[in-house]
Amino acid sequence: MNEQLKHLNSALQQHPELKYVLTFREWQTDFLRFYQSQTNYNISKDSSSLAATLYKGKKSCSFTVDHPDNPKIEAALKTALDMIDAMPEDPDFVDIEDDLTLARPRQIVNNIEALGLNEKTRILRELAGRAAKYGFELYGTFICNYQSWQMLNSNGLDKTSTLSPIYLEVKAVHKDSQVTVLETFGGDDFSYFKEASFSDNLLTKIALAQNPVVDVAPGEYEVILAPRCVAEFAQYLSSGMRAASVDSHNSFFEGKLNQQLFPTFFSITDDPTDPQMIRRDYGDQGHIYRALKLIEDGQFRAFMCGQYYHLKLGLPKNGNTGACLKIKAGNAKLSDMITSVKKGLYISSLHYMNFINARETSLTGLTRDGTFLIEDGKITKVVNNLRFTERICRIFENLIELEDTAHTIPFSDNYGEFSVSSARAPHARVQGFNISSSTRTI
Amino acid sequence: MKQKIKSIIDKLTAPDISFADVRITSTDYESIFFMNANLRSYGNSKGSPAIGIRVLIDGCFGFAGSKDLSAASIERLIAKARSNAIHGALFQKEKLTFPALPASTGEYVHQPEIDPFAMPKAEKLEYLQRLATSIKPAGKIVHSYVATEFERQEKYYANSEGSYNHMIVTNTLPMMMVVASDGKQTQSRTWPGHMSAGRAGFELFYQQKFEENTETIIKEATDLLVADVITEEKADIIIGAGHLALQLHESVGHATEADRIFGQEISYAGKTFVKPAMLGNFRYGSDILNIYSDSTDPKGLGYSPMDDEGVPARRVDIIKNGILVDQQSSRHIAHKLGLAPSSNMKASFADDYPLVRMTNFCIAPGKGSLEELIASTERGYFLDYTKTWSIDDNRNNFQFTTEIGYKIRDGKIVGIVKEPTYFGITPEFWNACDAICGEEEWAYHSTFHCGKGEPGQVMRLSHGVAPARFKNINVSVKM
Repeated sequence: MNEQLKHLNSALQQHPELKYVLTFREWQTDFLRFYQSQTNYNISKDSSSLAATLYKGKKSCSFTVDHPDNPKIEAALKTALDMIDAMPEDPDFVDIEDDLTLARPRQIVNNIEALGLNEKTRILRELAGRAAKYGFELYGTFICNYQSWQMLNSNGLDKTSTLSPIYLEVKAVHKDSQVTVLETFGGDDFSYFKEASFSDNLLTKIALAQNPVVDVAPGEYEVILAPRCVAEFAQYLSSGMRAASVDSHNSFFEGKLNQQLFPTFFSITDDPTDPQMIRRDYGDQGHIYRALKLIEDGQFRAFMCGQYYHLKLGLPKNGNTGACLKIKAGNAKLSDMITSVKKGLYISSLHYMNFINARETSLTGLTRDGTFLIEDGKITKVVNNLRFTERICRIFENLIELEDTAHTIPFSDNYGEFSVSSARAPHARVQGFNISSSTRTI
Repeated sequence: MKQKIKSIIDKLTAPDISFADVRITSTDYESIFFMNANLRSYGNSKGSPAIGIRVLIDGCFGFAGSKDLSAASIERLIAKARSNAIHGALFQKEKLTFPALPASTGEYVHQPEIDPFAMPKAEKLEYLQRLATSIKPAGKIVHSYVATEFERQEKYYANSEGSYNHMIVTNTLPMMMVVASDGKQTQSRTWPGHMSAGRAGFELFYQQKFEENTETIIKEATDLLVADVITEEKADIIIGAGHLALQLHESVGHATEADRIFGQEISYAGKTFVKPAMLGNFRYGSDILNIYSDSTDPKGLGYSPMDDEGVPARRVDIIKNGILVDQQSSRHIAHKLGLAPSSNMKASFADDYPLVRMTNFCIAPGKGSLEELIASTERGYFLDYTKTWSIDDNRNNFQFTTEIGYKIRDGKIVGIVKEPTYFGITPEFWNACDAICGEEEWAYHSTFHCGKGEPGQVMRLSHGVAPARFKNINVSVKM
């Protein structure tokens, strides 16, 4: 056990009137950011912190000590103990996490050490060389994190977890037209990275990006959504599956448990165990993280719920957070899906989405990194980036079919502490997707 | 600490290092969150340390940051920054360079009227509890919160050119919101909107008249449940200062960050439609539009005697009489564009890499009051309090929804509309600006949460704006 965590835990054992949750975190990143097929900057960062929340009856007080040492911890604890009696009560608070189940131990490779800068720059030089033959330059990031935490609480919880995600995002941008295509890899096991197929996929997209650029008028289109888009829409939809959103009257799913909301071939599971994804052992409060069916055969099955809202709202507790969403693959071949579109769009990626009304799942956002026109079953042209204004529930209601293969999609979380997560999703064919305006630019 | 940072710079005077800088920050932070009149969370951290070391070797920057300021850690960070620069140069075509600047010195200590970290905790909590209780769920109000963040940061900067800066500032972010429901739909109102932060202490709650506006937001959220939506295709709109700050931020502020011109943000935040050839000739907006970046004004969150690259504070015209004339830049990008660096390089904390960031990014005031502007509008809407925002990769196509719109007919407000949504193309929109209110309406509207960069940073910054009118704007979004 970390020395500072042990020190604070010992100090708090002198206060039987308190409940408490303590978390010690360590985090490192090696972060290569590139533009115009060259390094923008190369960053190494590390941090450590000790966070504590103390409860006295229904009163609570939290503090965090960055780069902790014993004198700093003692000072922070004294301040908290002096304060806690003066805090207003939260009448909804009952208890802290009491699930003591331990996850099966996993061997975690430190990918910062396993995947050094020499290898990263070698891979990027190779890719840049191939792209350059077609007038494209590379922009993106190549990241390895190594992070661990240990959580203790006064209910006897004592858990540790380590993650070492890898995130490679490569955007190929044409020097003149600025047409952009995207290829990514994410996971915690770099053996799943197949350099040749990654490179070939990027080149295939570069070939499509050399078609002429056109604009399209606003209106409803049949679209093929790339797996990244499907995953991102599912992530936004899942915000309404959180118990907190029910409590704030913001959930589309409130009162809809076990209702048929989507086509029967549409299922979403929050699954932290898939080796092709970035795996998780525990939820935010230390509850063991197991696969949870959220949408099963089109029916809404469960809210994601931790201890607080379990006790407040009476929803079943599961500790899931939606960090590992998997959309079940369908039975269509991607080539057949494209062939079946008379006139429509292929959308590679989404940008700057924001809810208009979360309860109604209405939102706006834009396409990015490769939007293509499909005519008579073939991708024929590049389309300027487009704005859509839609309801996510309507997008999934309008599903026609899903691809027979799911793909791992990494996401980087750039607000708060930098983290990497992943989802798995197939391509989706959707009718009546509402394009509300054009950006007139690539 | 001054001696410490200078001693680190001394360690970075190797022949292969053409430029180096070091930042050290210590940050106090406190957050308080009342939900439905109950204290849901209280958290603080005191003296959170951070250090960042950046070196330029062989035309490539390498950086290392940590929260560990020990001597051993500093040696490790220096070695890591050097290694990162040397390895980065293996994947580089163009050597990064910029002209030297003369050494300069900065010192600034901001003292809030009511120091939120020193005031009695009971007094602070009692005020917030009273505020939260006054908007607790009742009637159609089903959810509410009062939230605040206080931050005090002490920052040291030194570079290998001999420049040195030291500053201490206190910032506050207060916010409250109510949600109304009729069982079928929800509508919300915030106060004072999403750009509610300020370079101030607890006095910001009093300055922004929180207690005086609780009944207003309860009534408006409730009334929105039965309000109409806008039915016209196009309309004249007056945008309130709080929301106009965000419109400015997204469609001019980010668009004129020069690192975007060269694609340095493509992987995350995006590009810009602005090209180098547009400088000095591109009509970005109407004749009355004057926009500037000003890191010299201590009233805004973007004030700093010197940026995080050693460039002394500057006020720089970005748009003059509607024409794009300059950019927000780093020393490297300014050199590429043939401009003087604009003093816009900032890192949120010392262990963050400095980026081109807005500081105090402002629209110069025009003439007249908001009341006069409404009175001179025959038919239109006054929109304020941001609900949804979105803008494309090139900062060209935006769409915003505000919480409320006030219908104007014959110069008078005659009712409200819910979720008014407008969209447009950036230069067309700013060219449709025909009136900007005067100094009496001009104020800073600030945020803690401008996201940019990877690993992500959230910057504290301000926008000085007064309400403005835009003619014939698209207000019909089909869904």
